[in-house]
Order: sequence, then C-alpha cells, then structure tokens
Amino acid sequence: MIHLLFIVALVLCFLPLLPGMIGLLLPSISWIPTLGFDGVSLTALHAVATWPNLTVSIALSLLTGLGSTVLALFFTYIILRRYWETARWLNLERTLSPMLAMPHVAFAIGFALLFAPTGWFFRLLDSLGLSELAGIGLIQDSYGIGLMLALAIKETPFLLIMSIPILKQLNVGQLCAVSASLGYCHSEAWRKVILPQWLPKLRLSLFAVAAYGLSVVDVALILGPTRPPTLSILVWQWFNDPELHQLPRAAAGACLLLITTAASLGFIRSVEWACLRLQRGWMTKGPRATKHSKRMPHRHLALYSPFIAIPALIVPLLIVWSFAQRWRFPDLLPTRYSARFWQQELPTLAELMGTGLLLALVSSTVALLLVIACLEYRQKYRRGLPVWLVAIPLVTPQLSLLFGIQIVTYMIPGQHYWLWVCWSHLIFVFPYMYLALDGAWRSYDTRLDQCSRSLGLTAWQTWWRVKRPQVQPAIIFGLAIGISVSLAQYLPTQMLGAGRISTLTTEAVALASGQDRRVMAIYGLLQGVLPFVFFSLAIVANRLSYRWRHYRQYSLQTLYSSNKSKEYTHG
Amino acid sequence: MKKILLGLAFALASGLSTAQPPTEAEQNWDEIVKQANGQTVYFNAWGGSQEINDYLRWAGRQLQSQYGINLKHVKVADIAETTQRLLAEKAAGKNAGGSVDLVWINGENFRSMKHSNLLYGPFTQQLPNWQYVDTRLPIDEDFTEPTAGLEAPWGVGQLVFIHDKETLNNPPKNFAELLSLAKAYPGKVSYPQPPEFHGSSFLKAALLELTNQPDSLYSEIDSQTERQRFETVTAPLWQYLDQLHPVAWQQGKRFPSGTSETIQLLDDRQLLLAITFNPNAANAAIENGNLVETAQAYAFEQGALSNIHFLAIPWNARAKAGALVTINFLMSPEAQARKADAKVWGDPSILKQEALTSRGTQGFSLFKSIPEPHPSWLTAIELEWQKRYGS
Repeated sequence: MIHLLFIVALVLCFLPLLPGMIGLLLPSISWIPTLGFDGVSLTALHAVATWPNLTVSIALSLLTGLGSTVLALFFTYIILRRYWETARWLNLERTLSPMLAMPHVAFAIGFALLFAPTGWFFRLLDSLGLSELAGIGLIQDSYGIGLMLALAIKETPFLLIMSIPILKQLNVGQLCAVSASLGYCHSEAWRKVILPQWLPKLRLSLFAVAAYGLSVVDVALILGPTRPPTLSILVWQWFNDPELHQLPRAAAGACLLLITTAASLGFIRSVEWACLRLQRGWMTKGPRATKHSKRMPHRHLALYSPFIAIPALIVPLLIVWSFAQRWRFPDLLPTRYSARFWQQELPTLAELMGTGLLLALVSSTVALLLVIACLEYRQKYRRGLPVWLVAIPLVTPQLSLLFGIQIVTYMIPGQHYWLWVCWSHLIFVFPYMYLALDGAWRSYDTRLDQCSRSLGLTAWQTWWRVKRPQVQPAIIFGLAIGISVSLAQYLPTQMLGAGRISTLTTEAVALASGQDRRVMAIYGLLQGVLPFVFFSLAIVANRLSYRWRHYRQYSLQTLYSSNKSKEYTHG
Repeated sequence: MKKILLGLAFALASGLSTAQPPTEAEQNWDEIVKQANGQTVYFNAWGGSQEINDYLRWAGRQLQSQYGINLKHVKVADIAETTQRLLAEKAAGKNAGGSVDLVWINGENFRSMKHSNLLYGPFTQQLPNWQYVDTRLPIDEDFTEPTAGLEAPWGVGQLVFIHDKETLNNPPKNFAELLSLAKAYPGKVSYPQPPEFHGSSFLKAALLELTNQPDSLYSEIDSQTERQRFETVTAPLWQYLDQLHPVAWQQGKRFPSGTSETIQLLDDRQLLLAITFNPNAANAAIENGNLVETAQAYAFEQGALSNIHFLAIPWNARAKAGALVTINFLMSPEAQARKADAKVWGDPSILKQEALTSRGTQGFSLFKSIPEPHPSWLTAIELEWQKRYGS
C-alpha cells in the first residue's frame, strides 16, 4: 500500500518535471522546431551573457534573495530564543496567522501603499511638516532594500511556524534545564545546544524561503528595483516578449536563474555545514568562562512588533483604500468614499472563492496523503525522496517548468483544464507540505513504534494512537500551508487552465496590471481572507486537540488513582 | 476606394435582400450565425480595466440574447501570455480544439503570431459590419505589418498626454518644450520605462520629431547589420534623453511602470504630465475618481502616434463561427457607439461617422495622427535604451 502510494507520488509530482526540464533546456539551446529553430546553437546563451548589466541583476537577486533569507532566519532565531515556552509565546503564535495568511502579493500591495513616496507613511510625515523626507521611499529603490525587508518580514512567520513542530520535538525545556545545570546561560544554551539541532531540521524550509526570494516575480514587480531589475524579473520580461523568436533567450535566462538559485542553496548548505561542523569544538567546549549567570530574556516587545505592526497597519489601510473614491496625495484620509467597487466585484466573488477553495482542498488533501506515504516509506525502508528532488519544484522558476508541462497536456486530446490545474497545484503544494511535515517525521522517535508493537498494537493502531498525536500539529499546519500555497498559485492556474479557471488570485493579478489602488485593495483583502481562516482553524484545532488530549489523560489518571485508593480502602 | 465600393455593394445587397434571393455571401453568413448559436467563445483580452471588463460583460449579455453565444472573457495581465499559450499548442501539434477562440491584439503580438502562423483567416471581408468601417483609418496595417484580413479593427489608440489645467496651464507642445519644462521643474516629468508599451511609444514619438530622417523609420531596420544607419537616425534621440534624464522624476533613476502609474503620479502631484493611448482616458479617469476635474488630454503639435487595436482568431480555435459573429457584433454601430461613450469606456470607434450618427451617437474627433514606425525600430530602440540606461 505504502509502496503503491510512494510510486503514485513519484509519478504525479515528479514525473512532470522531466518534460518541464526538457522544455526548458531544449529551447535554451535554440531547439524549437515549430518556430523554425531546428539547429542547435548557442546564440541565446550569448544573448543572455552579453545582456547589459546582467551582473548587477544577478547581484541584486542574490542580495534580496539571500539577504532576506538571512534576515528572516536571524529574526526567527532571536524571537524563538526570547519567547519560546514563555507566557508571551501563545500570544505571539496567535498573531502569526494573519501574517502567514496574507498572500505575498497582498502584502506587497499593502507595503507599497504604506511606504511608497506617496504612501500613507509619507502622507503622515508630510502632515507633520516633514515633506522633504518624501522621496526616500522603500519602494523600487535601486538596491532592493525595500524588497529585501518586505520579504524578510513576510518570511519570518513562515520560518517561525515551521519551527514549532521542530522545537516541540526537541524538548527545549529539558535541554535548557540540562544546559543550565551544566553552567550554560540561556542564550548560550540556545546557541550551542538548540541551534545545532534546530537548523538542520529547518533546512528545507530555509531553502524554500531562499529559492522563493531569488525567483519571486510578483512581489519584485511591485517592490523591487527596476533599473536594472532582479534576475527573475529580467527573465519574466524576456518570457513576455511578444517576439517569439526571442524565446530561446528567455529559456536560457531561466536556466541561468535556476543555476543561480541552485548555487545559492549550495552556498547556504555549506555555510550551515561550516557553522555546525567546523565549530564543533566551540560548541562542545562547555560554558563560557565569564558567566553572566542565568540571564533571562529581557522584557521587551520590540522584537516581534514589526511582524504585528505592519499587518496591523496594512489591513486597515487596504480597507480604507477599498472604500475610497477620491484620495489624493497628501491627504491623510480619502475625501470621497464609495462602496461601488465592492458592489462591482461582489457578484463574481462567491464563484471565484468557490473555485479556488475547491482546487485548494482537493490538491492539498491529495498532497497530504502522498506526503505522509512518502515519509512513512522513508521511515520503513530507509530510502526516501532525495532532498534535491523535492526541492526542484521550489527552486525552478515556475514559468519555465510550466511551459514544458503545458505541451504535454496538449498531447492528450480533449479539454480537461480543471484536472490539469488541480494537478499542477499538487506539484507545487506537495514540496511545501513535505517541508512542513519532514521535521516532525525526522524527530519522531521510532523506538516508540517498537515499544507499542511489542505491547501488542497493530501497525495501524500504532500509527493512529502513538504516532499521530505527535505529528498532528505538523499535519494540521501542513494542511493550512498547502491550502494557502494552492490559493496563491497564479501561473499554474492561468497557464494550464488556459485562463478559463478563474480564482481570486488570477483576478487580482489581472486587475493589478491596471493599477487601480482601490480594486487592488479589495482583492488584496479578499485574497487574505481564506488563508487566514485556514491558519486560524489550524491553530485552534491544534490547541483544542492538545487540551482534549491532556484533559483525557488527566481524567484517566484521576480515574486510575481513585480506583487505586478504593483498592487501598478495601484492602 | 475599392473597399468603399465593396461596402456600397454590401449595403446595396442588404437593402435589396427582401426582394431578391439571398446572395452567396449572405447565405454563408446565415450559415455561420446558425453554427454560432450555442457556442461558447473564450475571448482572451487584457483584464486590467474595470471599465473594459464591464463593457465586455454587457457585450456578453447582448450576444447571448441576440445570437445565443456564450462569451467568456479570459482576463490576462498581458496578451503575450496568450501568444505563449498558442505557441505551446502549436509546438504540441494541437491544430484543432484549441483553448482560445478570440484574442485582442496589435503590434508586436500580431506580428509574431502572424509570422508563426498562429492566426485564422483572412476573414474580415465576410463580416456584414465590415461595410461601416472607416477605411480612411490605417486598418490595413498594424504597425506597418499588413493585416491581410487576419485581424479585424476594434478601436483606435492615440498617444496623448494628460495635464492638470490648475497646475500646468500651458503644457508643452513638442519635445523641445517638454525638455525646457523638465529643466524648469526638476523631478516633475517622466515616461514609462521601456519596453513597456507606452514608454516605447514615447521614445518613438520623440524620435519621429527629433530625427532628421523620419522617413527612414517606416522601412525595416536590422540594427546589427545596419549599425551606421541606426546610429545616424537615432543620435538626436539619445542626446535628448541624456539631457532629460538628469532633470526627470527621481533623476531618471526610476521610471513609472506604465500609463496607470503616470496617471496615479499626476494625481499624486509628482508628475506634471501623464501619458496614455486612449484620447478619452482623462475623462474616464475623472469619472472614476482617479483624476481631478481640471485634467484634460491633448496631443503634441506634430500629432499623436496612432494605431488601431484589433481582434483576431487563432488558427486552432474551436468556436470559429462564434468568434466571427462576436467580432461582427463588436464592430456593429451599436457596440462601437457604446464603447466610445466616456462613461463606459471611451475608446474611439473605427466606424464611419455616418454609421455612428445614424445610431444617435457621436463618435468623437481624433487628434491629428501620425502612423507608427516599422516594428523593427521598436525592437532596436528598446535594446539600445536598455544598453544606455538599463541601470
């Protein structure tokens, strides 16, 4: 059974990558017979290599992609160190969901409305008489600082949420207690004991964040530098060149983007290796000589406040914009309001949301089954999916992969657009879900299985009664992440659905090209609603199941002890 | 002239049709209308404008009630996406039952689709409403590429500027004055960044005015082999831009992304001039709350760069009959008059004035027009701009 599911997962999620890759590589060496390119040539590679300011574009991509990853990782680490298992943590966990749920495009729109030179922040400065500060906007600045910060802020909650199951498995409290008894201070314990165990388990999520930052198109279009743009935007522009004979150049560019991303991931991996392996001596050397005794975390809110303050500003700003009829710079608030844009959009909303939701539920459920099957297969046969295979859909620019896949779907007669779209969502949901669950499965102690089997439980009973409760938080978050990934897919929906399948996201991107701030605000808000609901549900479900389990345990215990006491009285 | 005669013949034929047996063309058309009934037409068109989307919803309702056609607007952010999709279908040999029945295109997209044999036709002459088309407009060519009946005209675009009478009462009339204005008010003038459509068009308009050899722009150029010719023709443009950029918005370090952003920036009082291809865009924007009432559009002295946007049918379209009837409807005086209404969309009509006035509506007068240069110039200028100012 597991064998079969494993093969199904390979066929469904990874086989299409082959035509996808071929469809990327062949055009890049100018082999597209239907366009009259039937000889192999390197002109496209040459065109890419000689493109003016290509190196600057690559450097910008590296800066924004890697920079945002490093920042996000840093934020995640210090937030975890400070708040994990403290009273504040529950509050913090609750505030993560709106941030996670907000799709990247919506966040970018909000960020732009806030920090553009005519954005709300500068309207505020202007009204305070600081108008000369306007113009230092963070939007489309030539170093990509705004893009980097926005990505870092947006990705931190993702890394935090991916860390939750890992840290739960690590048993941080115990580790800290042991370290403290050995003389480590709090921050040292985190640095030398927890970090080396946490980081490798977070690796895949980190790769996903880095790859996303390096190849992102939509957010970079809104926030990124324009002269020159980042590499991904450059390739996107090449792909959108109506001159079809320039297609080899676009394919070659996509290959370059792929190589850049792969190299960056290799770089991240080697840095991790260097830090954790080469510094082993430092880690095992014991506590520092100069003891700061038990320095407990400082009580300041500032650490995670940007992750609350920015969404807290963005959401009301989007709401105000969606009702604005006339809002001229530098007015702090609109001069005329109107609900006509909402009225215009409302009739089609139910249909759009329904389509998106159905796609998300189907693709995430299938992905969940397949991911669990793959992870179980790995545990059972010690042979699983290699990391690079899982990472392919994450690190390859979607546009180039989809081109090849699209051609394959055309070879099958008939118009099964719904099926193709659902399938393509599965391809991109699967790796994210795999990431979300991988840590939990890795940290699962298989001796528990052996134990429970030896106590007479069947394999299924063992899974359901021993393993499931341990991996359940990861499963529920994984499902929420899968759903939100599916809801945010633009290119697969548009390309494989021939544009016939409309979701909130495809509508939002089509409308964003018209740059009407008010309509963009509406779609930005609505895009966030569904993922928000699912993330909130995930958090509530996890908390309820946790409580319920503890309640049940507690009641069993009391039952048991009361029985015992009865025995005593009888005896 | 030939077309007018043909149009007259059509008009005559339709006038006499009650008395005489139907002509062959009419019989064919009746057959097409019959076939179209019940078909679903997937119309791939830019979906970035609520006014246009609303207009197409209206057209869908009309088509449903008049012809039983189900029109589905497939909203795309850039029609090049559709070009790519058709290419992929071609690559896979899907020569029937394609995913697109109708596209809204012009210029480069048309050229590449035509050269890759992605279009069905010629079909325009068999449309009954072809008789009303204003043949004085350059409907036979799309950016100097002969349309060859592969696409039917839908509307007229003219490159014009928008200014606010309150803040800029006396707007520049040519590119030289534009430069003086930029120097007088540093940071208040800009244009969308090429290769964005409007940005490239701005460069073409500037080149037409500044170059000593405007005629040269109407023949094909290969900037690799004819480097010398390219440089002599375009030198004045680069000199001009070298002067403009230091005094432009954000010192020319950044450019707006497109026409919508220039309109936004005009309203934000960051720019003095916005740029658009719709001569009616200012009115539509005021109507929509995007601009102040004192904003208005105008053209430079040399005239406005003009082009027509078209409708075409892919070679592998499934609902060809439905697409033909849809195009015919969109070219009807009824649909064109509504489209030209500033409250609806404000896109100038491609029909003769008489055809529109007979419906009780005015079209509106266009600015003096200058035809688009050969598309090969566009590619060459965009590349050179990239080299010089790409970073």
